[in-house]
Amino acid sequence: MSAPAELQRQFQDAILRDDVPPGLFHGEGRDEDGGFRIYLHAYRQRLIEGLRDNFPVLAAAMGDETFHELARAYIAEHPSPHRSIRWFGDQLTQWLVQNPDYLPHPALADVARMDWALRGAFDAADVLPLLPQDLSTLAPEAWPQQRFRLRPCVALVRMEWQIEPIWQALSADPHAATEAPPALPHHLLVWRTELHCQWRSLEAPEAAALACLAGGGSFADICELLAASQHEEPAAAAAGLLLTWITHGLLAR
Amino acid sequence: MTATQLGFGLGLRTPHYGDFMSAAQRVDWLEVISENYLVPGGKPLFFLDRIRRDYPMVMHGVSLSIGSTDALDHSYLEQLRTLIERVEPAWVSDHLCWTGVAGLNLHDLCPLPYTRSMLDHLCERVDQVQLALGRTLVLENVSSYVSYCCDEMPEWEFIAQLCARSGCELLLDVNNVYVNSINHGFDARTFIDAIPADRVRQIHLAGHEDHGKYIIDTHDHPICDAVWELYAHTLRRIGHRPTLIERDDHIPPLQELVAELDAARALAAATLKRDYAAA
Repeated sequence: MSAPAELQRQFQDAILRDDVPPGLFHGEGRDEDGGFRIYLHAYRQRLIEGLRDNFPVLAAAMGDETFHELARAYIAEHPSPHRSIRWFGDQLTQWLVQNPDYLPHPALADVARMDWALRGAFDAADVLPLLPQDLSTLAPEAWPQQRFRLRPCVALVRMEWQIEPIWQALSADPHAATEAPPALPHHLLVWRTELHCQWRSLEAPEAAALACLAGGGSFADICELLAASQHEEPAAAAAGLLLTWITHGLLAR
Repeated sequence: MTATQLGFGLGLRTPHYGDFMSAAQRVDWLEVISENYLVPGGKPLFFLDRIRRDYPMVMHGVSLSIGSTDALDHSYLEQLRTLIERVEPAWVSDHLCWTGVAGLNLHDLCPLPYTRSMLDHLCERVDQVQLALGRTLVLENVSSYVSYCCDEMPEWEFIAQLCARSGCELLLDVNNVYVNSINHGFDARTFIDAIPADRVRQIHLAGHEDHGKYIIDTHDHPICDAVWELYAHTLRRIGHRPTLIERDDHIPPLQELVAELDAARALAAATLKRDYAAA
């Protein structure tokens, strides 16, 4: 290993383990390690702030002390490989599944999922939405096998708790008083209309139908799915859902 | 001569998007943080495109990690190239530092050892980056809070040699020179007097936090008197260069920064006996 490579390895290892590397720095008449503590502090502070930017409602719900504890533990296990801090925290929702003890309430894992999904919608690729008139030329016999693509800004998120009211309240006011939410397995739909991020909670049949579409299912597959969930007129129900999704700009042209 | 070559600029920050969209501002050009726009789409790129219509821009990166001993990240360079095509910046800069090794990013501007082996390493890397981007790379001197036992020369000599050997240009951050002069105990004018004037493409001015024992380059305060004085000294030594004020934290209303930029114009005008009023 070259001398510069060895120096950088020692510097970085010391930052990661939150300690001062011995013998690396010149004292210049000052404390030998004084200046390095600025780097140690800045490293964690910057990544904590990066997590806070990406998970603003989670941070508000937890409060500074518990959020910092969680953030420091996550940073220790997942140092950033990213060129931009915008992507820091991409493993947090999975990490919380394995480390639930850092959350005062399990529903906060859903808050993290919602934060991250909205962060993704915010700067997802700009892809033109499918418009109703785009389907006007589709021959009736082509409909059963027709497939659709979701726009990159769309995410379907599995939730275990009804956290949306809490998320909404804390998003508007980080100091809002909230109560523990009820358990309610469901899906949250997140997307962006032009520049505005949006979300709504889905009933199970719509979530299943949208997941089917996202997975490459055809219109006929969606109809079949709805028939299995006891829709009396599955084709009409599927067409209705499709129109809703197109109106909300979920599908790609 | 374009406004970018001549004038006074600000770092574009999110809280000021609305100001730049709604009215003409007394700002000649803007510097954007490259990484903020290395995203697929949405608001960041929308505002970038809209504001670019009205202002010349330069791109300023924080993650090139030119001094890292990791291999250069070519996917990052490819993203930069794409952004360069979009922005058509007057020039592209990053920092004379390293930001991580072993595939990690500390998201900090870590200081380089001022050694001959690091110079060799940098010259090779600058060459690769300039080839990949198809343009001269501009590198900024950074603030630091440590110096290495293995240093073989002072920072200013290291920079002068790098510019001479690699062909890169310098983004001279006057505040960083001042910060380092206090943290490491040298005369800031010695630094300014030693850098190659013909390689200075741009000047940065910013505020810092004084912690007594150390000064920290926080970009969250107005420019202090000592840095204004060092800026005037720089102007006398190298003449006018496109000058930019950075503010990254405690970001005030735009008009406060425009007023600070006016102070820079006035100082340059008084020092160089020329008129630098906004176009």
